[in-house]
Amino acid sequence: MEVVDARVAIAPAISLLCAALVFAAADHTFWRRFFSLSAALAKLIIVMSMLPGALKGVVYTFDLVEFTPGVGLAFRADALGMFFAVVSSTLWLFTSIYAIGYMEREPNRRRFFGFFALCVSTTVGVAFAENLLTLFLFYETLTICTYPLVVHDETPEAMRAGRTYLAYTLTGGAFVLLGSIWTYQLAGTMTLSQPGILTMEAGRTTLTALFVCLIAGFGVKAAIMPLHGWLPTAMVAPTPVSALLHAVAVVKVGAFGVLRTIYNVFGVDLLQELGVCDWLAALAGITIIAASVIAIFQDNFKRRLAFSTISQLSYIVLGAALLSPLAATAAIVHIANQAFAKITMFFVAGSIQRTTGKTAIHEFAGIGYRMPYTMGAFTVAALSFIGIPLFAGFVTKWYLSLGALESDQWIYALVMLGSSLLNAAYWLPIIYTAFFKSPREDALVHEAHWTMLGPTLLCAAYVLLLGMTVSVPGMPFALAQAAVKFVFGM
Amino acid sequence: METEATRSILPMLAFALPIVAAMLTVPARRLSERARDVLLIGTATAVAAAALVLAAGVAGGTVYEMYILQLTPKIWMYMRVDAAGALFGATVAVLWLLALVYSLGYMRGEHRLGRYYSFFILCLAWTMGLAYAGNLLTFLIFYELFSVLTYPLVVHEETPEAMAAGTKYIIYILVGGTLVLLAIVLTFFSAGTQTLASGGILSADTDPMTLQAIFWCFLIGFGVKAAIVPLHGWVPDAHPAAPAPFSAVLSGVMVAAGSFGIIRMIFQVFGVSLLKSLDLAPYLTGFAAFTVLFAAALAVNQENLKRRLAYSTISQMGYVTLAISLLGMQSTIGALVHITNHAFMKGGLFLCAGLFIRRLGAYNVHQLDGAARRMPVTAACFTIASLAMIGTPPLSGFTSKWYLGLGMLETGNPWLLAVLLGGALMAAIYLLPIVYRMYFREPALTPEDLTLTEGREAPMTMLAPLVVATIITIGLGIGASLPGLPVALARMAAQAFFQ
Repeated sequence: MEVVDARVAIAPAISLLCAALVFAAADHTFWRRFFSLSAALAKLIIVMSMLPGALKGVVYTFDLVEFTPGVGLAFRADALGMFFAVVSSTLWLFTSIYAIGYMEREPNRRRFFGFFALCVSTTVGVAFAENLLTLFLFYETLTICTYPLVVHDETPEAMRAGRTYLAYTLTGGAFVLLGSIWTYQLAGTMTLSQPGILTMEAGRTTLTALFVCLIAGFGVKAAIMPLHGWLPTAMVAPTPVSALLHAVAVVKVGAFGVLRTIYNVFGVDLLQELGVCDWLAALAGITIIAASVIAIFQDNFKRRLAFSTISQLSYIVLGAALLSPLAATAAIVHIANQAFAKITMFFVAGSIQRTTGKTAIHEFAGIGYRMPYTMGAFTVAALSFIGIPLFAGFVTKWYLSLGALESDQWIYALVMLGSSLLNAAYWLPIIYTAFFKSPREDALVHEAHWTMLGPTLLCAAYVLLLGMTVSVPGMPFALAQAAVKFVFGM
Repeated sequence: METEATRSILPMLAFALPIVAAMLTVPARRLSERARDVLLIGTATAVAAAALVLAAGVAGGTVYEMYILQLTPKIWMYMRVDAAGALFGATVAVLWLLALVYSLGYMRGEHRLGRYYSFFILCLAWTMGLAYAGNLLTFLIFYELFSVLTYPLVVHEETPEAMAAGTKYIIYILVGGTLVLLAIVLTFFSAGTQTLASGGILSADTDPMTLQAIFWCFLIGFGVKAAIVPLHGWVPDAHPAAPAPFSAVLSGVMVAAGSFGIIRMIFQVFGVSLLKSLDLAPYLTGFAAFTVLFAAALAVNQENLKRRLAYSTISQMGYVTLAISLLGMQSTIGALVHITNHAFMKGGLFLCAGLFIRRLGAYNVHQLDGAARRMPVTAACFTIASLAMIGTPPLSGFTSKWYLGLGMLETGNPWLLAVLLGGALMAAIYLLPIVYRMYFREPALTPEDLTLTEGREAPMTMLAPLVVATIITIGLGIGASLPGLPVALARMAAQAFFQ
């Protein structure tokens, strides 16, 4: 059932308004905080208000403008989009609170919070995009809005990272645009509301080329190897930005784009016939393992996190590429599972950096006793990535392994299990260093400010909740299932 | 014999209470040391009571169950207490209570007690959950949690040896756990259903390659924990490094958890008839027989007492695996009973080893010369447990080996009696010289040594659990045929498996 409802357009617009207000508020700290937080809250409320309907199967749509017949900006909140929007607006609230604590004494806070809001605005825009054009528009805007955040410190290193970032993502964006136009030319529409709009009539070669084009475009942000180069470099950004980049906005938009390409542009049946997804799955499998192996050798905490992100994102890509319902479930729920666990880790990284100034893992000796709650949250996230049952990561691992068997590609079940061992190899040493190595500085128990600790603990709690039960408030597993059912025509 | 199950909250309480207690341990310590002790002992007693009530109920023919959490749309966290689970659960809970009481004395003045006690009681939660898990996913959850979250206990001393042992432990266990997960995923994919059922849940028309894969993944996965040679590497390092009360439960029930997993796998995932048709069990028999003899032979040469006992554990758990692999009714009874009996024998021995360390400063066997004169009660308990381990009637070790022997004959493998007796003989060779030293050698301690340690019997908090463990060892032997005791429960379990 489709219902025209302005809320799908208001949700992205709120952050836009927030950005404008933050810029207008100039140097008034109070008003900047007030706008940031109330916009985050308002958006969460609006998205959540659509949730009961979405769970009943209602799809909210809203056409904003039409440039030429059939081509325009339109929003549509289907199950997949809703899922992504719920995750990103929940995390935006957490990140905003955290950023306020983290950026306390930084210069250029107006620019920071303004663009921060814009980023989230565009993320929800991507989630609710009804067609490829809208998707592209927000995808590209996101690239541009993130740039000032990446180079926020304005050190030569940051500027260099910013250039790399732009070079990669703008090229990717160009591919997406090319793919979108090509799709329009082939299918006569760009809508994402169907389980596939292309047909075999277009020819095998053309379709393969188009697939490569779209996946390469989205794959840059989803950091599929060898398109991942920008991600570790972009780690120079302030930590809340890294969190946003890695968990909520940029990379997830890429992964989301891959899902949309596979499920809504091509469709499962067509891809099965085309056979290109085997290649994508292989690429994702290699990325999962290779990135994890590289991560083991990183001593800088944020760089290790970055390579872990690259590995984890490919879980989503792999899940989608396996073209089986169970693997698809894994791909979709992993958007949430990875987001919450990874953002916890970035919050931890930021808190440690702010409180102790330490950024290298070997310096963390005994830090678990100095910041017990922070490192406790980290432990929860780490166990989730390793895939210990009852933690969120296990759900992904379980469904993805089953999905690999379901699509008769048991090798990927082994990849999943190997990856969880690799995860153990690079997360457990950190826990070991933090809790079991001297020097102990017990007397100096000193946690980060509550604005930073609070969101960290909340996210860690979500990691546990997501792993324990399917009925987490506001994080509906049912939506992921609805999306899978729609895509596979079940 | 899938009887109608009764809903009961006890299986959930058995693991929920320790989790709550673990969270309250540190806050309670802020109140006072006494508050913490009361909290810990109270919880462990409550769990033990619940486990015994469940065991009594199961012995009376009831099966308890409880749905707890909906993990995925299809799978619940589901607890189901059958005879095998009730027996294992009761063993775990009682041994844990003893080890905990002992800890209060043993760990006094140690560092990081908050961490130690929280994880110690938490570990009880996971092990109870493991005993009562009603489906494979629930089993996996508790298996993994208790494997990984045991690490802080293994490395508690934080000496370089302990840290090295911990690293070894976590690598072995994670790889093992991953294989178990793979096996469970394959099982779930092949069989769909997950509730552990007596006839097995895999059907005979599953692809034989898949069945083989499932079998070996399960076996290697659980074999790591059950310390089947050559997967035993972590055991001899972890035991000497860990604090004595934890060594006691580690040897007593945590290694047995691996064997328990193998029991669940063989009888309730595959089922006897399917496994017989696959003809895979003889491999297991071979590995197990080798384990019994090989580990016992290594134990003879260990100078460190706890290390010697660790090898003994490997050998004794080999008996359990051997018994299971025979797929006979009597031997299965033997396996289940031996898990319980071994828990109290070996638990008792480790508690003794801890006392020797604390009161005499004796880590090595040769330091125990004349120990009986200073610590007569401890030495007596050590002797009784040693004799039970060798299989002297009427102590408990004899009962389990009796059933084992019967099973070997029943399934037509009389040559295995050589393994049974060889293992027992070697147990005599590695344990009795210690007894001899304690009673018949001149004391090794010089007056200088005695200024460092007490050199005499330990206080009641440590002695009482040891004496209780010894009494249980004697009681389980003498009263073996009484209803409601391990043999009766094990018989019920075996009957269900072979239905």
